This record gives sequence, C-alpha cells and structure tokens, in this order.
Amino acid sequence: MYMNTNTRIVSPEFDFIQPKTLAEAFSLLEEHGATAKLLAGGTDLLVQMKMERQQPSHVISLAKVKELEGIKAGDGLTIGATTSISAISKSAPVKARYAALREACNAYSTVSVMLMGTIGGNLCNASPAADTAPALLVHDASVILKTAKATRKVPLKDFFTGPGKTVMQPGEILTAIELPEPARGSGSAFLKISRVVADISQVCAAVMLVRDGDKITDCRIALGSVGPTPVRMKHAVGALIGQRGTPEAFDAAAEIVARDITPITDVRATEKYRRHVARIIVRDALLTAWQRAAEGAAK
Amino acid sequence: MSATQLKSVGDSSWRKDGISKVTGSEQYAPDISVDRMWYGRVLRSPHAHARIVSVDTSAAEAMGAVCLTFADVPQTRYNERIVSTPPCLYRDRTVVADKARHVGEALVGVAAPTEELAEKALRSIKIEYEVLQVITTIEQAQKDGADPVHDTVLLNGEDKPIINNVAVQRTIDVGDTVKGFAESDFVIERSFKTGRIYHAQMEPKTVICQPEADGGITVWASTQSIHNTRILLGQIYGLPLNKVNVKKVALGGAFGSSIQMNSVTPIGVGLALKSGHPVKIATTREEDMHDHVRYPSEIKLKLGMKKDGTLIAGEMHAFEFKLKQYVGLGGTFWGQGPASKCIIRSDGVPELLKTGAELINWDKRPKPGSQTGRMRRGIGMARGFHTSGVGHAKASGAEMIDYSGAIVKLNEDGTVDLIQSLMDHGGGTNHAISKIVAEELGVPNHMVGISPCDTRTSLYDVTTHATRGIYAGGAAALKAAKAVKEQIIDWAARVLDVLPESLVIEPDQELGQGVIYCPNLAERRMTVGDLARYLHLNSLGTISSSQSMRQVNCPPAYVSYYVDVEVDTDTGQIHSRRAALGSDCGTVVNPALASGQLIGGLSKGQGYALTEDNQWDPVTGELASKGFWVDGKTPSISESPLVADIETHFAHTYEPTGPFGAKGLGEAAKNPAAAAFANAVYSALGIRFYELPITPEKVLAALAEQAAGKTARAARQAPAPVPVAE
Repeated sequence: MYMNTNTRIVSPEFDFIQPKTLAEAFSLLEEHGATAKLLAGGTDLLVQMKMERQQPSHVISLAKVKELEGIKAGDGLTIGATTSISAISKSAPVKARYAALREACNAYSTVSVMLMGTIGGNLCNASPAADTAPALLVHDASVILKTAKATRKVPLKDFFTGPGKTVMQPGEILTAIELPEPARGSGSAFLKISRVVADISQVCAAVMLVRDGDKITDCRIALGSVGPTPVRMKHAVGALIGQRGTPEAFDAAAEIVARDITPITDVRATEKYRRHVARIIVRDALLTAWQRAAEGAAK
Repeated sequence: MSATQLKSVGDSSWRKDGISKVTGSEQYAPDISVDRMWYGRVLRSPHAHARIVSVDTSAAEAMGAVCLTFADVPQTRYNERIVSTPPCLYRDRTVVADKARHVGEALVGVAAPTEELAEKALRSIKIEYEVLQVITTIEQAQKDGADPVHDTVLLNGEDKPIINNVAVQRTIDVGDTVKGFAESDFVIERSFKTGRIYHAQMEPKTVICQPEADGGITVWASTQSIHNTRILLGQIYGLPLNKVNVKKVALGGAFGSSIQMNSVTPIGVGLALKSGHPVKIATTREEDMHDHVRYPSEIKLKLGMKKDGTLIAGEMHAFEFKLKQYVGLGGTFWGQGPASKCIIRSDGVPELLKTGAELINWDKRPKPGSQTGRMRRGIGMARGFHTSGVGHAKASGAEMIDYSGAIVKLNEDGTVDLIQSLMDHGGGTNHAISKIVAEELGVPNHMVGISPCDTRTSLYDVTTHATRGIYAGGAAALKAAKAVKEQIIDWAARVLDVLPESLVIEPDQELGQGVIYCPNLAERRMTVGDLARYLHLNSLGTISSSQSMRQVNCPPAYVSYYVDVEVDTDTGQIHSRRAALGSDCGTVVNPALASGQLIGGLSKGQGYALTEDNQWDPVTGELASKGFWVDGKTPSISESPLVADIETHFAHTYEPTGPFGAKGLGEAAKNPAAAAFANAVYSALGIRFYELPITPEKVLAALAEQAAGKTARAARQAPAPVPVAE
C-alpha cells in the first residue's frame, strides 16, 4: 500500500556499526550475513529504508574506512569505492583524461547528492539509470571485489545482471574502480536527458572514440535508462570501427543504437521518446568525442 | 505625496527577518517543539473511493499509541476554507473522513511518544474497505448510476441532496452574447487544457497542539491565516475562541495551499485532546503531495470580434477537475478567485508593454516558422493581472470576508512595535508593511519592529491571499500608524508649546530617530524617542492604536511577461533563456523584494507552462508520481535563465486607494507565464500549443506533423477565425 510510503521516517529498527578498517568490515559482514547492508553515501540506501524496500538488521557504515576513499593516478586511475561524486568531478586527472566520467559526475543530480553520493554506491545500487555506469563502461573500467580471503577483478561490463542486481557474492565488498590509461588519440563524452536538471535520466549515454587521422580505430558506446542494466552497444560500435569519422557515420551508428536498446515507458518518459533522444545524444556525444580525440592528439 | 518624497517606502532595504532566515534561526512550524510532546502520523486511504467497513486500532493501542478515528471526532461537517460567508459556504468535511473519497484521504490519526513508534503503530492498524467505483472524469461522475461520492452537502444549515455528483452549478451571464456573436465580424473557438500542479511549497505542512490546563489549546500551524484556523478549531471542537490560541510563526511558502486549514491541523488537535499530550504532526512530502493541488482544467472558449480586433462577445465553458471529493483535493493555487468588481484608477499597462518590449528587443523577434536550424529562438509576451484583494464583494452578490487589523504602539525609547496577524508567505509582506508604518510615522525604517503575535494578542486578518497583503493589510497598518502619529503630534505640541498643525516628523538618519519639529521655529524640536521617554517618565501612558479595515476597492495589479526561449528541435526541450518581467504594483514599497516576487513567478509559471503535470492514474486514482517529489518536475534554479538575463521593471503609477499608492503583486506575478511561454514557442516554431505542459514529447510530435505538412492538425485543433455570414 503505497500511501504509507514516505521518504522521511525510518521506522524499522536496525543496528548501526562503523568499522574503521576493511578487515573489521569483513568480519562484521560475515557475522551479520545477508541481513546486513553496507552504507556508503546513503543517498539510495536511506531512502530505500524509509520506503521499506530495504529492511536490514544491521547497517555497516564504510565512512570511517579510510582505505576505501581517494583517487590514485598512475598508469590509469584507481578510484576508492567511497570517493564522492563531487570529489571525482573535481579531480585533476579525471578532468584531464576521463571526460565522460567527469561529465557524468557533473550531471549527477543536485549538489547535496553529489557531495554525499559515492561512486561505489552508485554501482552497487545497480540502477539502470546510474549516471556513472555508462561513463565507466566506455572508459573500460573494472571493479575490485574483495572478501576477507580473496580478491577478484571484474570488468564492469560483466558486473550488472539486472535492476538492482550484480555479480557480487555475499561477504564481498566493492573496494575500488580501476580505469586503464586511455588510448592515445582517444576522446570521450557523456550526455544526459532529463525532465529537469535535478532528476534521474530519461536516457544517458557515454561514448569513447580512438582516432587515427580521420579513421576510427576503436570505439565504445554505453547507455543508461534504456534497459534493465546500463548497457554497452555492440552493433553500433561494430559499424564504426574502421570507418571514417563523419557525421553520416555517427548518425548511422546512433540509429543502430536507437534500434538495439530496449527502453520502457514509465513516469519519466515514453519508450518512443527514449529511442528518439537516445539517437540524438549518441550522435552528439560521438561528434564531441571525435573533436576531443583530435584535440588530444594535437597536444 | 509623490514617490520622490518618500523615505522608507521605495528603498531596497534588507528585510527584517532576512538574517534569521539565511542563518537558519527563524522558527517555522516544523521547528517548534514543546515539553512532553508526542508525535502524530496520519493513516491515509490507498483507495480513491471506498467505504470503511471496520477499523481495528487495537494493535496500535497495545503499543502505547493513541488513535483518532471517525468515531472519535465531532461529526459536524465544515468547510476548511472560510473566506466566504455561510450562504455560499458548502460544508462537506470532517476531521477524519467516514469514507475514502480520494487516494490520500486522512482516515485515522495516531500519536505516540516518538514519530517512529507512531509510524509503526499506524502500520498495525487494520482497515477493512469496501472499494467503490473510482471516478476520475467529469463524464463518469455525471453518468446515471455513478456511485455518489457525497450523498449530501451542508449549505447554511440545510442538508442539500447531490444528484449525479453535481453539488453546485454556477452560470455567469453578462449582456447578450447571442446578439454579440451575431454582430461579430469574426468568431474563433478554441479548447485549452492545463495541467495538475503540486504547490511544492518548501515547508512540510505541520501542526503542534498543546492542550492547556483550562481546557483550551495552543496551536502552531502552517497557515495563511491564524485567525481563520482559530475560528474553525473553535467551531469543530466546541471551544470558545478565548480558549483557542493560534501562534504566528514564519511560513515556508504556501502558494495558496494553506489558504484553508490544512488537513493535519484538526487531527493534531484531536490527538492532543484525546492523549492529553502536546502532539506534533509534520507531514511527509508524499502525503502532502496527495493533500492539495492546483486543479487541472479544460476550457472551451468562443470569442466574437470586430474587424479591428475589438472583442465584443465571449463564451467560456470551464471545467475544473476539482475532484475535491473524488481523487484529488485541495485549493487553487493562489487565493480564492475574487468575485468582485474593481474600479481602475491606476493603469501602468502601456508603460509596461513599452518598457518590456524594449528590454527584450520585441521588434527583432523571429517571425513564427521562419527558422530552420536545430536550435530555434522565440520571443513571446503575455500580460495578466490579479485584483489586489477582493474589495467589496457584495457588489457582485457573493460575499467574501476581507478585512485586516493592525496594532501600532510607540515603545518607551521611540521604537515602534507593529503587531499584525497577517501572514507573510515568504515574499516579505510583513517587512514591506513595517516600512509603510515607518513612512507614516516619520521614523527610520529600522525603528519599526515586527512583533511575534498570536490570535489572542492580534486583530483579525482574513488570510494572505488574492494579492491583498500590502494593499489591504498595509492599509490597515497605515490606518493605525496615522492614529499613532496624531497622538505623537498632539503630545509633542504640548511639550514644545506649539500648535499641533505646525509640527512635522521626519526621519533623521544621523540620529537614527524620527525628529519632530516646527519648520519655522528651529529650536522647537525633539526626537520621537525624547517624546516617548518624556511620556514614560511622567506616567502619561503609551501611545498606541488598534485599527481594523476593509478595502472597498480591489485595483488590478498588472503584470507583463516577455520571455525568450530556445527550442531544441532534436530533443524537443524548451530552454528559458531571457525574460523581461514588468509589474504595475503602484508605488513599489521594496523594489528588491518586488523583483524577487516577479522572478519567483517566472519560475513557478515555467513549471506550469513546460514541465509539471502531477496526474493520477485514471483507473486507480493513484498519483503517477506516487507522491515522490523527484517525479514532481518542479523547475529549479538550473531551469531558470541566468539572473543577469532576467530584467524586472515597474510602472510609475500611484494607486489613490492604496497605502502610499501601492497595489498588490504576488499572485499576479505568475499569471501571464504560461501564455508567454506558449507564444514564445510559437515564435520559435510556428506551432501553437493549447495544452499544458508543453513537454518535449509534445514538441517532437508537433514538429513531426509540421514536417509531414499536416497543417490539418492546426486547422482541426485551432480553426482560423471564420467570417460570420452577413
């Protein structure tokens, strides 16, 4: 009965725990098992608890686990899971090399949500509309999943399995996101369409192109809010690689995207509108990324 | 007095509650807490239309909660909005309902020592419903055999039957329309639709009720009128008014949605009286969104005109889907819809149109349909007005209550207290009125303080609605200030040994005081503070005045909008890029605040025009947004033009019936927005839209039809003016 649902009062009782180390977090997770939830920024979890979509017995906050926060740049980039969206959008290496991710972070709801929300939380929440997901997909990111005993690295393209669902196993914590160094001559871009700026996307799209002169040598395209998970577009990419980067080629690829996606009609947009604007923003993002690739090569 | 001679009125001074508001120390109803206070929650109906077969609150009571069901509340029906007099006041509400008439109807109140426990207790209540026909359209409601939503309605003590769900019909005929249309050179007919808008006031509607030892109650509530709230609570709970005290606290916006007593207010009182504890109910955003709405409407309009454009006949059929008793509920957006006639004695429209046109480069506006690129700019204009208050409404047969009171008193150091129950929605009305008092008394603006007050210590004020705050409430304060000034002059004349007629009072900025002096006898002078101290030390009494007043006129406050939009023909999105907003509010009491009212009006109006439509599901009667504000689509600062690209300007008029020539502004500030945006989109695309909001989906569909050359659509929906056969 939705009339009882609200986003202010947390009525179910739960225990709140704040471990200081990852090791402590693992043992707490083991102890309280499936009924515990990890808290990062809380911008999704707390709302879900208020709405009683989640009723954990224990909430384990990762706020004090220092090793989970921060951005390390080297050959590529490692972003700690509890790094805030705002910190990523302000990061110099992100600004210099990962344009799509930066634009996704800048398009991320309101200032307060950007300050509280974390990149790890955004991914683990596994919303089909997660703004950072398409950007990370085109940057070819992987996530690091750890238990007390083991560590595995999962490519982000294999991470999401459905709305709110991922390949994570009980006891695992997503500790970091790893992005490889962008290829020489590459450019990326992210675009989002929403009813108002402070809103979940109706459609969002990220693209990455590698150019050699006027030829496209590599490409990735990913979209959000067009299917059960953030999704990479294979056919459109296939149509672009090896081609010349012309507006016509980008338009044709965008049309393939509009055909391949599986959007639904909901309160935010109709299926028809989603297909229409997916084509527009993919085309626009490809044009921008192509331009950026040229600028990058010129530097 | 010309505007140039004014001292306080007309400057952009810092509002007196500004510091407390920006530092977060201002107290709004949700900030109030009292000792021993319990928290209340309200169980609301998940059904649009259902009979309540049984209510079981035993589990909630076992948790220690107190519950308030229909059996616990007075059964007399009331109308939560008492701006009209009993002959036109239809009464159909009780504190909690006997039957669910819309999704979100309040059915049971629950109070407990913590809000979490109240919420738990609420969820343990078992209600058995008999679900009835969901009625979401006018057609369904009026069909033979449709389930009656209300069986009867109470009017002036008489229980009137309701046939086919129609409680009241109103027809307004002026002149001979048949003759008018016959004499017209052209007749046009159009249909318009507007959206269903949530008021989106910042403050969650709140009530705190403290039962008193003498059987009375003290109430803090989100309201536009503390006195109407008091009168209603007295009537409902059978309390004499001297035992009902409603406190004035800052209001975090209302946009008309607190013109009525809010649904939680009498529930909080009922819970406090039953539990013996003070009880606070602060609504959640979700329940608030189900609790009030600007009604969607369908309007069929027929206009007859002469060749030169003179309108000579009009016919309008307006259906407001009030659905007050079906699936939605609430008030119109801003005020009550004045039914009165006004006398126009100030008209700044020609100036507004000229200035606005210059500011926006109206002459250079794109010719509709002339552009071809992806991004197309368009400039549109519209003007509108709202009467300042409702004036003397008996003139048109429907009586509305409309008067304000004010107490002005001189303190022992020469400062002044203004005690007025009139609510400030947040636009700065109270501050502006304090400047009117300072102006009249001849003291600097900072000398006049706005006093906290309540219904026991203030005079009646009907409610802040219908653009009446400064014009009607300001006039009452001015009347009291005049009486105080007369006493100041009388006393000063005695002290200074001159004739009262020879004295003037003027603010002295260096002294920070009002100075009383005799222009031709320079040594006969004293400050207002000196006089106040003299009166005090000689036990001569306090100078004060308490005045009440009704404005008999309600002059139109005119507003003009010129907006510049950019339409993205690929995505269908419409971006608001520039605006020139003009107001004829007579003398501008505080230009910075008046400007803010216009800019706020643009923002609200833009939502109405372009994004907002908080519709229900026609089958279930549930809101599509489920009450979640993320799906309310209210525009924010991000959707607004840059502040540097919004020009505001004011007509140089003087309203002879207003305080220092002032008229109203607030409600008028939004009125032309939707038409201006629709005209701007027409300028950009050459396409007319008659349905709000003009969403990207609608824009794309219209562009596709335009591209396909289907001008037939335009002809079908909006036939060109047709010549009338001779």
